[in-house]
Amino acid sequence: MRSPFEQQLTALVRQPGVLACLVVGESDGIIVDTVAQSGVDEHAVAALAASLFRRARLSARAAGLGAVGFLELEAECGHICATGRDELVLVALTELRAPLGRLRGSMLQLAETLA
Amino acid sequence: MTTAAIDAWLEAPLRRFVRDSRVRFALLLEPNGQVLAQHGFTRAVDVMAACALAAAIHASADRLGEEVNGIPFRELYHAGAKRQMYLASLAIPSRSIVVLTVFDSDTSLGLVQLYMRALGDAVRTAAPALPPAARPALDANFEGELNRNLAILFGRAPAASVAPEASHPIA
Repeated sequence: MRSPFEQQLTALVRQPGVLACLVVGESDGIIVDTVAQSGVDEHAVAALAASLFRRARLSARAAGLGAVGFLELEAECGHICATGRDELVLVALTELRAPLGRLRGSMLQLAETLA
Repeated sequence: MTTAAIDAWLEAPLRRFVRDSRVRFALLLEPNGQVLAQHGFTRAVDVMAACALAAAIHASADRLGEEVNGIPFRELYHAGAKRQMYLASLAIPSRSIVVLTVFDSDTSLGLVQLYMRALGDAVRTAAPALPPAARPALDANFEGELNRNLAILFGRAPAASVAPEASHPIA
């Protein structure tokens, strides 16, 4: 069954260095839709990234910083980027070489349509 | 919160699962309702009731899955207002273990499922090699074993007092 996000997720994954893009429920960590290259453990990434985003959102609120716009985690071999709206989190998994500026713009644009 | 297991090899995997998944309650049991390990319960009577109910739900889901799906349903999830329940079955050589977990908004279903897979791997690695045994669903001494296991879990009897032949039946 096709989801309303399939086309946009496919476009994100076609960007250089992007390994996977997922729409995940923030509270349950369950995948709503995903487009990923083989070898990515989508369920693990979804559950952990949704938890990370939720805690980042709670941390920002507790610190009086307001809503989280964009979360970027830099790891040894790549990045996890996340943004969210209305209980849904958009997650991207990238290699180090991925141009994050362009990806960030695309993710924020797509996040506007999450609901 | 207390974590206790009848068999020592189950305790470390259960502790790790509880620590990582952040579930409030966890119960490992035989499909026939015999308790194997628990985390979070403070009363033996609660463990006994939860085991009986979880075994019944698991058996119903198994049968229902066979009826409508051709194979047993292995996982069941219920969301409550504050707490959620996830019931799963771990297949290990020659037996299966039913795991009942209760959790709240401190974690998520996705995380619990993720660490349940890790628990399955850890249990399969730690489980001693046991030959499959054809046993009745309920042993004649089921109630005696249940009482003995509850006494061990809640510190009223040392684990060593369980005679090897009286330890868990293999389903």
